[in-house]
Parts: sequence; C-alpha cells; structure tokens
Amino acid sequence: MSEPLAISVSGLTRSFGDNQALKGIDLTVAAGEIVGLVGPDGAGKTTAIRAIAGLLDADAGEVSVLGLPPDSAQVREDLGLMPQQHSLYGDLSIAENLNFFRQLFGISRKVGRERIDRLLGLTRLTAFVDRPAQALSGGMYKKLALACALLHEPRVLLLDEPTNGVDPVSRRELWALLGEFVGDGMAVLVSTPYMDEAARCHRVGLLHEGRMLTMGAPNTMVQEFDHPVFIVLGGAREHVQAIVQTAPEVRAYSPAGARLRVVVAPDGVPALTDRLRPLGCTLQPARATFEDLFLAHLAEA
Amino acid sequence: MWLFLTRVGAMAGKETLHIRRDPLTLWLGLALPLFLLILFGFGISFDLDHIPLAVVDQDNTTESRELRQLFTAGSEFVFAGALDNPDDALDAFAKSQAHAVLTIPEGYAAALSRGENVEVGLILDAADANSAQQALARADAFAQLASAQAAQRRGLDIAGSMPVSARTWTRYNPAGRSALFLVPGVTAYVMALVSVLLTALAVSKEWEQGSMEQLFATPVRRAEIVVGKLLPYLGMGIIQVLLVLVAGTWIFGLPTNGNGLVVALGSLLFMVGMLGQGLLISIVARNQMVASLTAVMTAMLPSMLLSGFMFPVENMPLPLRTLSNMVPARYYIQVLRGTLLKDNGFAELAVPLMLLAAFATLMMVVSTVMFKRKLA
Repeated sequence: MSEPLAISVSGLTRSFGDNQALKGIDLTVAAGEIVGLVGPDGAGKTTAIRAIAGLLDADAGEVSVLGLPPDSAQVREDLGLMPQQHSLYGDLSIAENLNFFRQLFGISRKVGRERIDRLLGLTRLTAFVDRPAQALSGGMYKKLALACALLHEPRVLLLDEPTNGVDPVSRRELWALLGEFVGDGMAVLVSTPYMDEAARCHRVGLLHEGRMLTMGAPNTMVQEFDHPVFIVLGGAREHVQAIVQTAPEVRAYSPAGARLRVVVAPDGVPALTDRLRPLGCTLQPARATFEDLFLAHLAEA
Repeated sequence: MWLFLTRVGAMAGKETLHIRRDPLTLWLGLALPLFLLILFGFGISFDLDHIPLAVVDQDNTTESRELRQLFTAGSEFVFAGALDNPDDALDAFAKSQAHAVLTIPEGYAAALSRGENVEVGLILDAADANSAQQALARADAFAQLASAQAAQRRGLDIAGSMPVSARTWTRYNPAGRSALFLVPGVTAYVMALVSVLLTALAVSKEWEQGSMEQLFATPVRRAEIVVGKLLPYLGMGIIQVLLVLVAGTWIFGLPTNGNGLVVALGSLLFMVGMLGQGLLISIVARNQMVASLTAVMTAMLPSMLLSGFMFPVENMPLPLRTLSNMVPARYYIQVLRGTLLKDNGFAELAVPLMLLAAFATLMMVVSTVMFKRKLA
C-alpha cells in the first residue's frame, strides 16, 4: 500500500455569507515537497490553509491530511501551522512561547531543550530568548512563529504568508530554513503574495478569486508559457502606456525601469507592432518570468 | 492522563504569566474587592448615625432642655445648633446644617406638669428615605421615654400609665449594623464581577489576538484549554474570598460563625459558576469589548440589584423576584449570611448549595458544548 499524500484537496468550497472564498480547488502536496499557493490578497489563500489545518469546515469537497480528516487528533500531532496573523503571546518571551508549545505537544523537557536550542540557533534568536514576543521585529517574530510551528517536527507544515512584512534578508533566511526541514521529508504548503518566492517552490498553484488558475512546477510553467514578452524601447512612456493599456492583445504590462514590459497574446505581436510604430517604438524580446505568467493568467481569468 | 495534566499545567502556567505581567489584572483582582468592601461597608451604610439635629426650643424650660438632651445623648442624633423658628428648617436642610429639626412648643413643660398630652414636632429631611424612616422610629421611642419620665416625675406609676411598652430587638446582627449584612453581599458581588469579567476578557483575548488559531492547531483539547485557563482565576477568586472575609472580620467585626466547610463549598461552587459564565460570554463574543460589556450587564448588575445584596428579594415586584431566582449571587449571599451570621450548616443551606452547583454545572456544560474548535 502506498503512503497517503501529505495533503490532498479536491473540490474544496467554502463561503462566508455571500462571499464565496473558495470555489472548488484541487491541490496535492507530497512528502518532501514545497508547494506554493500564490495569489493576490483576497484570493482565498488563508481560507484554504485554515481548511487544511482543520480550523474551518468545507462546504463541499474533500480535504485529507496524511490520509485522515484534517480535524482528527492524529493530524494535530503531525501538523504545524504558522498563521498569517500574529498568533503568539506578545507578553511572553521567546523562551516562554517555545516552552508553552513544547508542553502542549507533550515533548519532554530533555528532547525539547535540544530542539529549542537547535531552532534558536538556526533562526539566530538565541541572544533574544528573554525578549517578549511583542518587542521583536517583524522578521524575528516570524522566525519565532516558524520555530514554534516546527518544534514538534511536524510531517506537514502549513505557512500562511510567512514572509509578509519581512525584510528581504530575513525572507531569504526563512526560505533557507524551510529548505533544511524539507530535506528531512516534511511536506510544506506555503502561501505568498510574492511572485519571486514562487520560484523557490517545487510546485506552485495560482489562486485567484477562489479558483486555482493553474498549477505546476514554476520552471516548467515558465518554459511552456507561450506568450511572448517584450520590453518597449523608445517613445514617450505615457504615450506608450496609453496604447498598451487599451490594446486587446496585451495581456499584462508592468514597469521595467523607465520602460514598460508587456506580455502579449501568442498571435498578437503584429498587431501591437503596428500600433506602436507611429510612436517610433520597437519591441525587444525578453525572457518570460513567473510574474509575467502570473499576470497573464490573472488577466485571462 | 499525564498529557492532560501537562497541557492543563501549560495553559495554567501561561495564564499565570499573563496575569503577573498585567498589573491591571492583578489590581482588578485583588485591590478592587477590598476597595469595594470598604466603599460599601462605610459608604453605603443604612445605619442611623450622627444625624445632625437642630432644635427650636420655644419653651426654654428645664424639661424642654431635658428632651433635647434625651435626643442627643445617643449616637443617633448630634446637636447641630438651635434655630429660632421652625420655618428655618428648610433653610437648614438646604445648607445641610441639619437633617432633622426638633420643635418643642411653648408651654411644653406646663402641659407636662398638668398631665396633658403635648406634641413636639420633628421635621425630617427625607431625601435619604431610609435614614428618615429610622430616625422617625427612633424619635418615637424618645417621645415614649420622655412621656415615661414626665409621668414618673408626677409620681405616677409607670406601669400603670403605660401598660404596654414597645420594644424592638434584632437578632443575628444585634446592633442592627448594616455592614454585617453587607459584607456577604459585597463578597458575592465582587466575586461575580471580577470572576466573570476576568475570564471573559482572558478568553476573548485569545480570539482577538489570534492565538486561538495557533492553539487549535496543536493537540491541546478544548477541555484542557478551559480548565487550564480557568484554574488561575479560580485561585485568584479563592484569594479574593479570603481577603474580603478577613477584611470584613477585621474592619467591620463580621462574626465568623458557622461551618467553614459550607463557606468554602459555597464559594467554590459560586466561583465555578461565575467562571463558566465568563467563559460562555467570551465564546459567544470573541471580542474583549463586547465581552466586558456583557459581563458587566449579566454579572455586575444582577448580582448587585437582584441578589438581595442591597434590596430584599421579598420586597421586589413579582417579575423581578422571578428573575432573581436565576441570579446565583442570591444563593451565595444566602449561604454566606446563613453561615456567618446565623451559624447555619449543610442541612439548612442544602437548597442554595444545590442551586449553586446546578448553575455551575449548567455553565460549564453549555460553554463546553458551544466552544467549537473552528474559527468560523
């Protein structure tokens, strides 16, 4: 018998009053895999993660964690959650917060001390153990929350926007930390609004208004992306933007320095070239990035 | 079982840290009870004491001066000065120079010596109706005493002229001091307020600051969260009861009659009920602001107004009396007054004790059922 998937979601639907937060999403995460859930604010990322953590009931669809219903007692032993909002005790110090969660997970003092020392070392929080959580910087707080979620060595880790409000250096550190734990076979589902972080995941799902637009390995997805991408050279920027904004063949545009970067429909290049010729612009081909793909998917959704 | 104890211990330990780090909670829990006890004990006294009495002596004889002395000899009235005219009474009331004016008419002594009836006037400031009523009763007694003295002076047999003499006496609280009556009430009121409020705040804080989400994702069970969170407040409640009772004994001379076990059991049952009520409020409210308002409305007001603490339940109109049956503070006050003042035991107080137990059970069961391990 094969091992059940770490996370398996099919047709997950959930509404809050009139607001349909999730409109039937499918998702799997295997052991040792980091799967990213990328989407703008309000896409349904937090709802999806809470449903997988067993904190929300699904209106319809199936959720299983390690082959079990997500709100079963066994799942809580094997699942780690780092919520998006601050969820530790601000008046308790780093050491007290960690010790509290050590006790809740029934980890012995001896084993706990080894793990806490190791996690504090990895997160470079050792020097601050007596500082109250509310006095930590955004990045340090997130690292502490990660340490609390990892203390019981979960087989499944859910991270809801772990790098939100964190400076770039700390963001890199957090991702490096994740990499270490996944090496041990942990399954990770991480949500993020940052496109650049998607590239660090094994697989990524694009979530938009409660629907999964596409899902796959970021490299493969970018390679298979059939929309040409250009930098617009020449011409006054505001004039170029006025045309690009209204051109139906332009799927997405974004600023690239002083110029504009455009994602064009596969058969729309001649039309855009004609449109921009009067301004004296030329199109310089560029390599598609994950962000181009994401924006194009949002525009076509 | 071992895990249960560990996790309850973890919750309780964490909560104790919160309490220790938040001076406001500590003050609210420990200083407020004493403050309220002293405030109610001294401030809201129904006792007749040192009422300033002005006298309009239009007779100005030895007898009239004796009557004045009779009134002011005890501690109930103090002589606040002489007035020329009974019409000045309102002025004296308005300036708060006197709360009562005794008028002795001209010819008082002469009438007494002739054995005729004579009326003296007592004008009372009844803004404080309670004190006025007591003052009236007191004045009646003084008048009787004066009559008896006058009769004696004329050589009449007192027993013959006044075959019936009215005498009142109070039991359980011989001096009729309201502080003794109030201390059990204050105890119940303070415990109701502080226990419900602190619990409601403590649990709704977990919702508000988002830590409930993290807690729910750990193996901790709901019962462990509930027991662990409530234990420190139960401990605080026990300290409060001891504090208020010790202070009541020390400051107000509250008698310590009765079975300590009954007091302890009653207090414990009452506190568990109050903690359960606070828990239920926080589960429904999930918000500190709403929770504290609800706690004040459902714990503070009924425990003060409908419990028999300040107003006797027997005097309430039927709807309020019916409502008061659902106020646990009422039964707790019964237990405290019963044991401390009347030396009652388990046998006499079985009914209020059972009702307290029923309320505690109901609150704990309902809040455990309502406490869902879901965020929405």
